[in-house]
Amino acid sequence: MIISLSIWPVIKILVIILLGIYIVFAFVIVRQVQLMTDTLEVGFEKQLKFLSFLHFLFAIAVLIFSIIIL
Amino acid sequence: MPDVFVSSKKTTPIKKTLYKDLPMQERRPLASFLMRPHGVSFETKEDEEQIILFLRKHFVTNIPWMFTSTVMFLTPTVVTGFGILDTIPTNFKFVFIMIWYLISMAYTLESFLTWFFNVYIVTDERIIDIDFYNLTYKEVSDANLDKIEDVTYKMGGVIRTLFNYGDVLIQTAAEITNFDFLAVPYPDKVVKVLQDLRMEEQQEALEGRVR
Repeated sequence: MIISLSIWPVIKILVIILLGIYIVFAFVIVRQVQLMTDTLEVGFEKQLKFLSFLHFLFAIAVLIFSIIIL
Repeated sequence: MPDVFVSSKKTTPIKKTLYKDLPMQERRPLASFLMRPHGVSFETKEDEEQIILFLRKHFVTNIPWMFTSTVMFLTPTVVTGFGILDTIPTNFKFVFIMIWYLISMAYTLESFLTWFFNVYIVTDERIIDIDFYNLTYKEVSDANLDKIEDVTYKMGGVIRTLFNYGDVLIQTAAEITNFDFLAVPYPDKVVKVLQDLRMEEQQEALEGRVR
């Protein structure tokens, strides 16, 4: 009996786990930016918060997209 | 009874300081050197405390990570152009590229934040060093001006001479004995301002003033 094994389902699971961890990391960035902008006010707070939040949303979008297309 | 000796009424004039003659600068969020910035604040700032210098690393020090980021963002275009990823299924190829862009974004953001939040502040009362080592660790340390024992500055190398930036090394008698203002613009001016502030602190101590 020949068992055909494909590596791609394993890679799919690994990618999803990796992206899950990445989302946590992206959330840490959002929190850290919030804390740092409280520590220091120089008039660039809104833009920084927006950038970190954009990065967080992008990470979520990539995870959802990966679950759908892989 | 007449006085044997009457001292003259003359009082020693306070030495004119450099920083007080300078105009207040409007806040520029991405500036590396601001004198008496208007509208800049930090967590532990007291109401009457005045920021004299706001410093961070010279903008030129960002060039290495900017170059790396550019290369990282261009890599997928080059790699797909040469057909290196052609053996991978299209859906996986697309997800790998998205992950690569995510990592590039994180690297760029982290490098920028490290530069942006690593600041050195000199107020009329103390020096503050705000360090943002990485995304999970920050350190804020300060020392009163009267605790400063020694100030030196180092400037060497072609790039540093060309763009006029260097390291200001401050030794203090406080708990944290070394404050290193690294790669800050105009280190000579920073040293001069610190010298003036220390002299003013000594003058205040002699006159028994608090501020």
